[in-house]
Amino acid sequence: MLRVRVIPSLLLRDGGLVKGRQFKHHKYVGDPVNAVKIFNEKEVDELVFLDISATSGGQGPNYELLVDIANEAFMPFGYGGGITSCDEIEKLFKIGIEKVILNTSAYSNPDLIRNASRVFGSQSIVASIDVKTSFLGRSEVYVQNGTRGTKINPLDYARKMQDLGAGEILLCSIDREGTGKGYDLNLLKAVSESVDIPVVAAGGAGKLEDMSKAVSEGGVSAVAAGDMFVFHGKHKAVLITYPSYDELKSLF
Amino acid sequence: MNRTVCTRCVMDTSDEKITFNSVGECSHCQIFDKDSQSMWFPNETGKQKLGKILEQIRKEGEGKEYDCIIGLSGGVDSSYLALKMKDWGLRPLVVHIDVGWNSELAVHNIEQIVKYCGFDLYTDVMDWEEVRDLQVAYLKSGVSNQDVVQDHAIFSSLYHFAVQNGIRYVISGGNMATESVAPHSWHHSAMDSINLRAIHKRFGHKKLQSFKTISFFQYFFYYPFIKKMTTIRPLNYMPYNKKEALEELVRTVGYKEYGRKHGESRFTKFFQNYYLPKKFDYDKRKVHLSSLILSGEITRDCALKELEKPLYDPVELKNDKEYVAKKLKLSVVELDQLIDEPGRSYVEFDNWDRHYALLQKLKNILQKVTNKKIKTYA
Ligand SMILES: [Zn+2]
Repeated sequence: MLRVRVIPSLLLRDGGLVKGRQFKHHKYVGDPVNAVKIFNEKEVDELVFLDISATSGGQGPNYELLVDIANEAFMPFGYGGGITSCDEIEKLFKIGIEKVILNTSAYSNPDLIRNASRVFGSQSIVASIDVKTSFLGRSEVYVQNGTRGTKINPLDYARKMQDLGAGEILLCSIDREGTGKGYDLNLLKAVSESVDIPVVAAGGAGKLEDMSKAVSEGGVSAVAAGDMFVFHGKHKAVLITYPSYDELKSLF
Repeated sequence: MNRTVCTRCVMDTSDEKITFNSVGECSHCQIFDKDSQSMWFPNETGKQKLGKILEQIRKEGEGKEYDCIIGLSGGVDSSYLALKMKDWGLRPLVVHIDVGWNSELAVHNIEQIVKYCGFDLYTDVMDWEEVRDLQVAYLKSGVSNQDVVQDHAIFSSLYHFAVQNGIRYVISGGNMATESVAPHSWHHSAMDSINLRAIHKRFGHKKLQSFKTISFFQYFFYYPFIKKMTTIRPLNYMPYNKKEALEELVRTVGYKEYGRKHGESRFTKFFQNYYLPKKFDYDKRKVHLSSLILSGEITRDCALKELEKPLYDPVELKNDKEYVAKKLKLSVVELDQLIDEPGRSYVEFDNWDRHYALLQKLKNILQKVTNKKIKTYA
């Protein structure tokens, strides 16, 4: 097992896999079940699925699809999207999902994250924090797939999530997402220094060095990426790739 | 069942249109002898002919971003061809069409090849829910060619990108050495969009939105005559041996071998090794092995031995069947039922045959009038 987890983070929309840029312009990139099969063969240790249609559409998790994914996946995976109650969380764990990821509902209903971590243990509850930075460099937490600002500072918010019982933070820079420009290292550093729970970097990875920087300079304990594992080359051709174990080992 | 088998290759009367001459050689062998004279040059002549063609492609492509286009499936033929294209100094746009059945091996091989060759890759990912709906419609129709959906999509995308990028040369891995035998009675053309739409209309549920079909007009007129698209099959101009090609791929780019023919698509494997033999009594290995006999790569005895092997390992079959059913959102029982039903001919659904007959008539008239032989496309 590697010291640092390197997690492909995949977006679902209406049952298909999509990828976008800065939380917009999503493009269809394939069938999630087939993608999981390919990641299996590539010996990926962990996956994350985020359903961006589950919250906005109001329909909640697509259990049927998640069952298919869980049946196919050799590795543990986390799921986020449209989760609003402990009953739903229980149902997701029963399917075989390892971690549930709360974003909008962690903001609008803090009791959910508190109760869920008490009932299921904080190690299985992840708080997802999406951050947008203004022209003046002020960072703000956004919810609802990055469409709604909360006026809350990410550091305060991350501490609050930790206090509520989240076992891990998935921290994504909306501005960097899908750009390949590298993670927002300042944001990563500031947040990981202000909490004791593990922080997973997301949004912006374009090359392997970005990942080692996220760890050495950003102080995170794991890294997630979408584009890097889904796209190839200047035409952004859809091609699922994952670095070899040796490549990853030499990174950290 | 007692079948008459060709004395030279291993094709037999499971091809209902097959005929034999006085020494027992089949119509496929005769077609090969005729076609190979004008199409197959695994020798010095081929080298010279190919040299001229390549020069023309490079010249026409000067100043353009790409001079040709190639579809890359991850299979040996197209992968090896891509490698050669690098040696020849071509600058192709490489297109991969993902119809949802890609194996990890295919994805790995494509990655290795484009990285090694430094070629630009473009992918077209078909909307899986639409493809699934179409594939289930095809299973329900019971026609023999279940690869239509992917073959049509691949051709359609490739030509679409070619036109979009102003490219007129399509480089194809098609070749006489490994696929000269093609019994028409087994499969109707995958390019017949009238047939595709008729089958989908009868058995499909979803609207085809992103799935682009190619019309009869586009296929026979627009692409060849208006857009002047030309398909080049370089493997016909050189000695091509699949085993050696594979070895070179493994050596140079770290290519990973597929267990069986068409291992790059689990559906094609299931369709060829289970659906076709069970439902129609067609064994595609005969086609493939016969081609190899004719090109001199293997002996007839060797092919006959190969045919004695079982089509499927029982465990593998069970796994693949479960996978195919699940992916198509059918139960294994439903899938079995569809396969157990008697097969149907494509003519039970609307198709392009009447247009095609008209086209042939027109061609004959034109040939008489102009006194020139008109090249048939594709
Ligand atoms: Zn023969």
